[in-house]
Amino acid sequence: MVGKLILTRILYAVLTLLAVSVVVFAAVEILPGDITTRILGRSATPEAVAVLRKQLGYDQPAVMRYANWLGGVLQGDLGTSLSSQRSVNEVIGPRLANTAILALCAFVLSVPLSLLPAAAQALKPGSLLDTIASAINFVLLAIPDYLLASIMLILFVVVIPVLPSTSLVTDASGFWDWVRALILPSVVLAISISIYAIRLLRDGLIDVLSRDYVRMAELKGMPLRVVLWRHAFPNAIGPTLNITALNISYLIGGVIIVERVFSFPGFGSVMVGALQAGDAPLIEATVLIAALIYITANTLADIGSILTNPKLRSAQ
Amino acid sequence: MTVTAVSPAISAPARLWSGFRSLPLAMRCGMAILALHVFVAMLGLLWTPYPYDAIGTGVGATGMSWQHPFGLDQLGRDVLSRVMYASHIVLYMGLLGTLFGMFFGTILGLLSALIGGWFDAILQRFFEAMISIPFLILGLIAISAAGPRLASNPTLIALVVGIVFLPRVARIARAAGLQVVTRDYVTAARLRGESYPAIVLQEVLPNCAGPLLVELALRAGYAPVLIGSFGFLGFGVRAPMPEWGLMLSENRDLIMITPITTIGPGLALATLVFGLNLFTDGLARYLDRAGLTTAR
Amino acid sequence: MNKQLVAMDMNITNSVEIDDFSLDYFIGANGWVRILREVGLSIGRGEVLGLVGESGCGKSSLAYNLLGYRAGNSRIPSGRLMVGQTDVGRLDRAALDKVRGRRVALVPQNPTTALSPHLRIRSQLAEVLVEHGYATETTAIEARLKELLFLVGLTDTDRILQSYPYELSGGQQQRIVIAMALSCDPEVLVLDEPTTGLDVTTQGQIVRLLAMLKRRIGLAMLYVTHDLNLLSQIADRVVVMYAGSVVETAPTATLFAAPGHPYTRGLIGSIPNIRQTARGGLRLQGILRRSEIGAGCPFAARCQYRQPLCEARHPESVAIAVKHDVACHFWRDLPAFDPVPERLDARRGAAGKGEVVLEVEHLAISYKRVELLGRWLGRTRQPVVKDVSLRVRRGEIVSLVGESGSGKSTIAKAITGMIDHVAGSVTYGGSVDLGMLRSRPVEVLREIQYVFQNPDESLNPRRTVGAALARPISRFRKGLSAGERQELIVEALREVQLDESYVHRYPGQLSGGERQRVAIARGLVAQPKLLLCDEILSALDVSVQAKVIDVLLDLKKQGEIAMLFISHDLSVVRAISDRVVVLYKGTIMEEGPTDAIYQPPYHPYTHMLLNAVPEPGRVSAEGEPAGEPPRLDPAGCVFANRCLWKKGTVCDSAVPPMRQAGDLRIRCHHDLATLSELATWQNGERQAGAR
Repeated sequence: MVGKLILTRILYAVLTLLAVSVVVFAAVEILPGDITTRILGRSATPEAVAVLRKQLGYDQPAVMRYANWLGGVLQGDLGTSLSSQRSVNEVIGPRLANTAILALCAFVLSVPLSLLPAAAQALKPGSLLDTIASAINFVLLAIPDYLLASIMLILFVVVIPVLPSTSLVTDASGFWDWVRALILPSVVLAISISIYAIRLLRDGLIDVLSRDYVRMAELKGMPLRVVLWRHAFPNAIGPTLNITALNISYLIGGVIIVERVFSFPGFGSVMVGALQAGDAPLIEATVLIAALIYITANTLADIGSILTNPKLRSAQ
Repeated sequence: MTVTAVSPAISAPARLWSGFRSLPLAMRCGMAILALHVFVAMLGLLWTPYPYDAIGTGVGATGMSWQHPFGLDQLGRDVLSRVMYASHIVLYMGLLGTLFGMFFGTILGLLSALIGGWFDAILQRFFEAMISIPFLILGLIAISAAGPRLASNPTLIALVVGIVFLPRVARIARAAGLQVVTRDYVTAARLRGESYPAIVLQEVLPNCAGPLLVELALRAGYAPVLIGSFGFLGFGVRAPMPEWGLMLSENRDLIMITPITTIGPGLALATLVFGLNLFTDGLARYLDRAGLTTAR
Repeated sequence: MNKQLVAMDMNITNSVEIDDFSLDYFIGANGWVRILREVGLSIGRGEVLGLVGESGCGKSSLAYNLLGYRAGNSRIPSGRLMVGQTDVGRLDRAALDKVRGRRVALVPQNPTTALSPHLRIRSQLAEVLVEHGYATETTAIEARLKELLFLVGLTDTDRILQSYPYELSGGQQQRIVIAMALSCDPEVLVLDEPTTGLDVTTQGQIVRLLAMLKRRIGLAMLYVTHDLNLLSQIADRVVVMYAGSVVETAPTATLFAAPGHPYTRGLIGSIPNIRQTARGGLRLQGILRRSEIGAGCPFAARCQYRQPLCEARHPESVAIAVKHDVACHFWRDLPAFDPVPERLDARRGAAGKGEVVLEVEHLAISYKRVELLGRWLGRTRQPVVKDVSLRVRRGEIVSLVGESGSGKSTIAKAITGMIDHVAGSVTYGGSVDLGMLRSRPVEVLREIQYVFQNPDESLNPRRTVGAALARPISRFRKGLSAGERQELIVEALREVQLDESYVHRYPGQLSGGERQRVAIARGLVAQPKLLLCDEILSALDVSVQAKVIDVLLDLKKQGEIAMLFISHDLSVVRAISDRVVVLYKGTIMEEGPTDAIYQPPYHPYTHMLLNAVPEPGRVSAEGEPAGEPPRLDPAGCVFANRCLWKKGTVCDSAVPPMRQAGDLRIRCHHDLATLSELATWQNGERQAGAR
């Protein structure tokens, strides 16, 4: 039964991903200007244009090209970048690895940064601690990530010059170069994720703590430790997982900004570059990868919620 | 209607004032900040210390002075004038985009909840797909797709904000709608054989007003942030037209020399968002107190 | 045990002694609001004290305070809550942890939400024993758990201990919660509406279990409920509360025979009884509104014997007889309590002999799996209604009776066209075959109207009563002027005994009963020929039920409308219907004219339902055994596994025949003569001595 449910979730995920591929392909398709003009320039001869069109497969109808592209994607071939004439896999690969390191650092930082305040607030809603924490949160909520990044730059580069203003890393960078490069961007990312997560987690935890069975545990004389860890906590896992998935999706968007501010060579800058250049295969590939990460995180969170719920686990 | 007849002795402004006084403090503070922003925006449209696009109004890339409280950017443009002039552009784009997204998102979400079945399933897959593309990327794709001629047009940016918001609003509207469509008064309307638009307008929408109003305010607070990101990445309005996100990007290289040129537009953006958030928070509390936040 | 030796004073032998107890809540704009006012009561060892009152009277607040549990925005301005020699109102959290579950235990209202969904029953029960140090060795714990489950009548112990809460039925969950409460041999058991929401037969089982526990264990119980009849089955004494004050305390039998307070009289008078309808003159008027309560007697606003003094001064509680206290200024001056039972059939009127409006023949309904993937991975169809036939004539009320899951609402939904049926036919007006909702002509939509169960949901909270009534008019009766429409609205309101002033009110400003009457009016403005009433009384307090019943009987007297009345309440059904259809698991068990249904012969299921209805003066008869009924053989009678009169193996192997006697039809393997002999539930007026 649980298998069926999980299978449903996975099927939905695949369907959604398919829908994404259609949306992206269609959007790129209507990008202005003929693709060949973009490559060859306006003065190209009709013969040259025709040759290139054939070469790129643009003499076929859109549906066929979509099918071909999807076929390639399924086999792991994301196509060839128009602007650099290199394979998309080759362009994205190392950048994706850089971003993965950045995102991982930010994510690891964000876990205690969001969980601890949220738990402290939820245990005593309305207390002085809760009020102060909420107020700080509220102010930070008004500061977008690019502004936060600028403020951090002013603070730690201009006022207290301890960190580099850019986070350029290359293959030659050593471990400490990486550490210095990663501190600012990952802290900025972690803070901007946590601001949202704290509010959601706090409300979710308060909701769980106000359930009938938590009160019942209290009313049958269970000490606070038992009430919290045995009765409340397992039910908070589901919502926490979902918020985590949300964080991951936020990270994907957030890296674009942060990479730009700190000139970090990652996946986000590839995306922006591809859009600016109108590099269709590269756009399609990057968006698909971003959506894949988002959908995977969400699906895993759903499956996690299913597995922690005994009713769903064994009933249908 | 008969019970709430108000005695003519109380004037309309007095009633408005007492109504305002009964709102939560946070909401009143938020409204005050927003009023200030609207005032600056209108002022900026009529008068700025210097023309917003005038180059060389002083020595480029200098900091705070009486003549230039927010400093001068690299081209010697007065940052304060640009911040003021940008105000109405940001408000226009934010408001239009939010309303656009809310309007279509609400309609589609509620219809989806009411009709259900295949209509709902297909729409949900489509919206899910849109949501799974990070909002910033979705917006950037939409802007790129519109082409270079339209790219920096504020109305286009507003529409893109609406497109980014639409599926998210639809999801909230659908969730709120789903709680309402199972209610017996909706079933009663179905049993009368009324049309879907009639049921949405008469029965469903009024009972989702609470969550949707909160969503509207939430989206309005996020719109300037999103618009700023577009500008910051160079996909928003183009120079010389000013916009706070764009200015943050323009003046990023000056951060070592004159941080004030970054702080100025940043302050404008943060206070606007802060005011909107305060308003939203107060609105949510107010509606909660009136028992309106949960769909009934 | 020691305490009993020490205790010489009468007061100390009581397990619970609540004295002059008041409670305030801080409610935003209103400041401190008094929720409980100088409440005093005591419960002796082995005594069951019933605490009864309408919703909002503060009975649950009192019960939870006995566990030392109150909201953060509350304070105790006066009084003591003594459990033995401990004042639980003044304990801190650590001390409360040692009292709760150990000395005072709770049986909550809704076991489904009170059990932790992710913990097996074993660990939820065992942790109480462990944390209170009652048993620590694994073997001792295991032995105690088994003992507890046997005590509450659950025999399949290993399976149940291994289960998650959702895997158990509502009755089983309630038994588990009772076992949990009993696990550390508490001195006091607090029961908060422990059977509300359960089916009448399950309720009977739980009440019998509690009565047995009372005899065997002899702990003190505080039984909180809104159902006075239920208390007659279990309580030794009853405390009646109104708006936070105790208005009357009396031994149960005395309370029913000679209620002293006007409120208690109204409460008793309002309950529709399975043998007689509500007694008009004594019924409660109005509803409890805390805002209307002044310095005087809280009940003054609704009291028919009100005097100026009542509104000025709060009455003290005085002993009017042994153990019988009443808080009323004028208890001496009240007329003697003499409920004159009305003849049931006199009120009901003659059965309609009109033409058949609705004819259902051999109806079968299955729920389809609508989930997308479910269709691909194998479709499952569960039949919920099998071979149901019934007819409703003009001017007639036909009732569909059964417990939850009997398929009665499903049948109504099929008639409205909201769901499709797989076999059989639904014919309307003699010839029109009713298809799905979308295919019906407007005329048919108008003529069939539906009234919903829950008055909180049946009206749009954002529209006034007038607007709610205007919708069907503009939909079904086009071309009327504004004046004519207004006239129709007022007329419909009058028909449900509401006046014009309601037109501009919002549903939030109405009581449940008023809302339900507006919902009926909304059906009536369409000028229907068939009115479907789906459990329209079950969400209402007894005092407002009576009013809605009046409205239905008035409509019936006019003789124009056919009504299909769906209910689980055999008392109400008897009061209003001409014909009754008894359903079990989607199959008709018994069907016939009302009087024949409530007389032998009975179908075994009907008999079980009748016996389960609690009544003052009648000891609850032997019911079905506790625990899981045996597996049902699909080849036989659907009721075979729960039947107390099972004939033999034939019940498991063959579908029983429909037996007919005149207009009465019973589906059973027994013949009608045998069924008459087996019957023990007797019809007729209650003997005076039975009180």
